[in-house]
Amino acid sequence: MDQLIPSQQSPAVNPNRLRQLQALGILCGFGAGAWLGAAEAPTKLVNVGISPVVVSLLMVAGVFLARWSVPALVRGTGQIGWDFRQAPHLVVWGVLAGCLWAVANTLTIFAIRDVGLSIAFPLWNMNSLIGIFWGVTLFNELRNAGARRWLSVLGGALLMFLGACLLAYASAAQTTPEHALRGIVAALAAGVLWGTMYVPYRKAYLTGMNPLSFVAFFTIGELVTMIILAVSYGGGASPLLRELVMAKEVLFWLLLGGFVWVIGDVFQQYAAKYVGISRGIPLSNTNQLWGLAWGILVFGELRGRGLSLYAQVIGGSLLMAAGAGAIAFSSVTGKEHGSWHEAAHREGRRYGVSAEYVQAGLAGEDSNRKIAGANSRSWLDWSIVAIATAVFVGLAAVSRIPDIAVNWAAVALLSAILAAFLIACGAALWKATRFS
Amino acid sequence: MREPSVSGRWQSLTLTVLRDVHFWIPVAVLLGGLAVLRWIS
Repeated sequence: MDQLIPSQQSPAVNPNRLRQLQALGILCGFGAGAWLGAAEAPTKLVNVGISPVVVSLLMVAGVFLARWSVPALVRGTGQIGWDFRQAPHLVVWGVLAGCLWAVANTLTIFAIRDVGLSIAFPLWNMNSLIGIFWGVTLFNELRNAGARRWLSVLGGALLMFLGACLLAYASAAQTTPEHALRGIVAALAAGVLWGTMYVPYRKAYLTGMNPLSFVAFFTIGELVTMIILAVSYGGGASPLLRELVMAKEVLFWLLLGGFVWVIGDVFQQYAAKYVGISRGIPLSNTNQLWGLAWGILVFGELRGRGLSLYAQVIGGSLLMAAGAGAIAFSSVTGKEHGSWHEAAHREGRRYGVSAEYVQAGLAGEDSNRKIAGANSRSWLDWSIVAIATAVFVGLAAVSRIPDIAVNWAAVALLSAILAAFLIACGAALWKATRFS
Repeated sequence: MREPSVSGRWQSLTLTVLRDVHFWIPVAVLLGGLAVLRWIS
């Protein structure tokens, strides 16, 4: 087995390359925040009497389609097969992460019902603090990083948490919590589940797996768990099917929300890969800021409310931006990256993964490309893309444009920002790593 | 040296996953989450 492991004295990644990957991870973290926040917008268009669990299931169905079609289009399913052969144990981790996501998402629905968004959102947003804890204790993140970087990351995460509290308080609807304890426990449990979900993420990326392959396995656990939960809470398969048929006019919007969410999540995965979970996750938690921007600018939420409310929104946004800035500037040092390197090779040794594969992953390179040459798409890839497109087009054809006031100028502005992030992150990922 | 059979490789990988303490942390959290979900619903 020792021949699989390169010498620990050899430099993991050269300093210039490390800086390039760091910048890429930070850009992807901010891109993730913008796209994850925008994913809430299509769901705001849905105002019919379908249960929250079914809304969640439909979004996951959109997520499933996107999680297979986007990787098929960008890299081809052949690359997923290559990753599977190199590190087959990561399938288990991907499915497990998907199960964690589905249960956490369902818990948030109950938390919002019981205590309202204002209390629930900051509670589950502490997932970044849980992520930092696991990153430090299990994967050597922030080890040998120095006091200044520790302060930047922890202080930044705390600032973001305070900002999230202020924003959530400002955006709260007038609700009367009836089951406060139940709701608080649900929100805290969702935060712990989401924070722990990053353990499988980090495990996969330290071992060298490509994020686009990991999400394809992740979504199997996500969809299966969500179907089981929806059937359980909906009283069986027949009532669930009836509800889906009844909601056919809004299916498109929910699936679209899932699709937008996947773009954000893909950027979040690359951020976790290149800057670690202790930095990548707080950055992508800026999604709350973007969700609020869509709510206020596009849907006119908070219109006609007092100046103090706007002051809270601006104050909360500035706190979140300051926290994100502190984390973004606490770059990983060569010494800290050396600790990541040790953790990566520990994983490689444990599971018998080839050292070349692990090393290529750390350096943002594609080990398969070196061996097999350029990526190519097969008939299977084009079939997956065609099926996903047909589903979206078909549902769009039977969908109804909701009767809701929308500020189209704000939609255009925010969509342009999303497009700018998509182009910037996509181009940077292609240029630096060829989506590795 | 002979290559391990496919079933042998899977068996070995399964055992390695089950012996990895990192695996049991998310599993325990998932079970806890399901228990909370059962309690609140």
